[in-house]
Amino acid sequence: MLEVEGLEASYGSFRVLSGVTLEVRPGEIVALLGPNGAGKTTLIRCIAGLLRPRAGAMRWEGWPLGQAEAHTVVERGVAVVPEGRRLFGSMSVEENLALGAFAPRARRGEASRLEGVYAIFPVLRERRRQLVRALSGGQQQMVAIGRALMADPRLLVLDEPSLGLAPRLVESIFGLLREINRGGVSILLVEQNVHAALALAHRGYILEAGRVAAEGQGSVLLNDAHVRRAYLGPLAR
Amino acid sequence: MTRPRGLALGVVVVAALAAVPRVARTDAELNFLFLVLLSTTLAQSWNIVAGYAGQVNLGHAAFFGLGALTTRTLWIGGTPVLLAMGAGALVATAFALLIGVVAFRLRGAYFAIGTLALGEILRITVGNLLAEISTLPAATIASYRLADRYYLALALAVATLGVVGALGRSRAGLGMQAIREDEAAAEASGVNALGLKLLALASSTALAGLAGGLFAYYHISYYPSHPFGAHWTFDALLITFVGGVGTFHGPVLGAIFYVVLKEYLAVRWVDFHLLIFGALFIGIVLLLPGGLVEAAARLRALAGRRAP
Amino acid sequence: MTAFVQQMVLGLLIGGLYGLAAAGLSLVFGVLKVLNVAHGQLIMLGGYGAFWLGALAGFDPFAALTLVIPGALAFGAVLYWTLFAWVVRASEETRVKNSLLIGFGLALALDALAVRLWTADERSITTSYAGAVVSVGGIAIPLVRLASLVLAGALIGGVHLLLLRTRWGRAIRATAEDWEAALLTGIDVRRAYLLAFAIGTALAGAAGTLVSVGYSVSPSIGLEWTLKALVVVVLAGLGSMPGTFVGGLVLGLAEAAAAWGFGGPYREMVGLVLFFVVLVARPQGLFAR
Repeated sequence: MLEVEGLEASYGSFRVLSGVTLEVRPGEIVALLGPNGAGKTTLIRCIAGLLRPRAGAMRWEGWPLGQAEAHTVVERGVAVVPEGRRLFGSMSVEENLALGAFAPRARRGEASRLEGVYAIFPVLRERRRQLVRALSGGQQQMVAIGRALMADPRLLVLDEPSLGLAPRLVESIFGLLREINRGGVSILLVEQNVHAALALAHRGYILEAGRVAAEGQGSVLLNDAHVRRAYLGPLAR
Repeated sequence: MTRPRGLALGVVVVAALAAVPRVARTDAELNFLFLVLLSTTLAQSWNIVAGYAGQVNLGHAAFFGLGALTTRTLWIGGTPVLLAMGAGALVATAFALLIGVVAFRLRGAYFAIGTLALGEILRITVGNLLAEISTLPAATIASYRLADRYYLALALAVATLGVVGALGRSRAGLGMQAIREDEAAAEASGVNALGLKLLALASSTALAGLAGGLFAYYHISYYPSHPFGAHWTFDALLITFVGGVGTFHGPVLGAIFYVVLKEYLAVRWVDFHLLIFGALFIGIVLLLPGGLVEAAARLRALAGRRAP
Repeated sequence: MTAFVQQMVLGLLIGGLYGLAAAGLSLVFGVLKVLNVAHGQLIMLGGYGAFWLGALAGFDPFAALTLVIPGALAFGAVLYWTLFAWVVRASEETRVKNSLLIGFGLALALDALAVRLWTADERSITTSYAGAVVSVGGIAIPLVRLASLVLAGALIGGVHLLLLRTRWGRAIRATAEDWEAALLTGIDVRRAYLLAFAIGTALAGAAGTLVSVGYSVSPSIGLEWTLKALVVVVLAGLGSMPGTFVGGLVLGLAEAAAAWGFGGPYREMVGLVLFFVVLVARPQGLFAR
């Protein structure tokens, strides 16, 4: 269970988060939405341990996250698929996946987990010796998700996984996320694709200007007038 | 300290220094003070481009050397020494502007190592072309007056401090400091970065060239490549950083401290002063970037707070 | 003609040591983004280590490597913890600048210490087989230097394999490419930094040992070797151990050719001129891909 309370964070003197409170309950898929610059990625960086918050609290399974080193967060069972994927382009698919299991907790069962990832993404098995930078955007996204899965996470955090991907690919990735969730992994999903995200998620939060502006069940938010007008546009169904 | 008071103090110090040749009993005092004055000039000139403009130039010795080479050649050939020194400064500056346009394509650490390479290239070239030791003709040695060199050193040091003092308050100087802090931001607000960097380099190297001329005037014999040696740059760097890089008083304090330590410790352990300065340097980079100037300011603040 | 080939062969032999010297610097620069300009002093210390092991304990210099390398590894770890661990806290741009300054202070202190402890005299290790020469078609190849070349290649090859095949080797490569992503993957980046720095120091120490047996060592070789290593790193680029080795060989050959063409004193200039030219041709630095 991930708990975030009154989180404040800044870059230098530039305040980005002004008191964010949210939670991800065990087994949930939670969507985090909002316009560009609202602070979604900043929040992810705080959770991941890459940015120290200025105030507020974060807890994962009761364990305080605020002062943790990023690599120990992974050790605790939280894996992040960052915005832009941040893969190691000069290394092969297999090496990237292997690195996903670097944390001590992930080394147990590494081999079988690798098989599992190849089972989910057969195309990666074919290209496992290829350098990641030679892959297409969609394939790279698969590697990024696969790498996170190799850490044997209990919470999977994804920052804009659908960015730059063809709609059909987005569909299959979201389907995959649902599968992963059914396997017992909680998911925190930051997305621009509001419709798909809310259709997938159990609950959602809308972040605006560093604060939670709305929250609720996925389906409820999807039908909320303000949300529809602001994020789903005139073509929203 | 307010400016009028600072200036008054400065005048007093300079007057006192000017009186030394009449009061000193041996040459040792004059030589010691000469070294302090030369070091101050060399460090303060380096401070212009590295401290104020933020471009760490590790090829400073090249301009010191070019000034020395030009001055020595002309002066031994019959030119009056002041003219020769002026020519030395010109040569140094011309060379600086020439390579400056190219070198300033490099930023930060790459500029530093690039200029280091240039300095070394020059040293090796001069060392190969002019391998013979340069000695003054007997007549010149016979009429050698240390006091002349001393007064010149004093004048040059005062002039250098004057230039830096004026620069620090001028628009150009503020522009340079803006470049030091954030070149991109400075450019965006209308500062001509390349122009100001070249100006900083030109003034820095002109003064270094004059210092080189002074070196050539002072020493009776030396190897022509000696003033091109990197350790002159490193000395200037050490002195400026330990004293307080980018400040007016830093190089002065640093030079005094450095020469005192060097002369005092030279007896027992030849390079001990370098060990101390090396360690001090690390400490300053990590803990007290403002150097001795910052330390003095903090002490004064502390004393001010303690006073009832 | 034979004389020319002889010069080139000698250039190749020292080029191997240039490559070894550069490999350590390249590793540290590539992974930590830190330019340790005291690298040459680490080489110097390795040379003195081998010299004194020979003079005081009768160690053959090649055998002394088995002590110098672990010793240098440990020294590197200590240096990292006491000094460079602080430097890596800053942003990349500040890191390079600070490491330049701190490395400079360190180099100064180490030079002064060396002069105090061991005097400014040049030291060289002479072994019973020092004069042995392999003759190939009229070209004389000093055995000691040939062995050094082979060892240098082997050491670099070893580190290359380490980086390629082992778990921490992969972690080090990942950290070099993107340290934040490495953290997100669960890699303790500071441990990767420590390992890279220690290995870099060990390579420097080994280079120093080979320098002291094939050539000579004195407190003043620090700056010289730092510059050589820098030139090779700039020429060969970052990110490849074998590439750095080849870069070293190229520098050695270029120097030999320059000495042949322009005379001995200009040997040193070639590297520096190439260095400056390459630097200016790539003003964005060495990390751009």
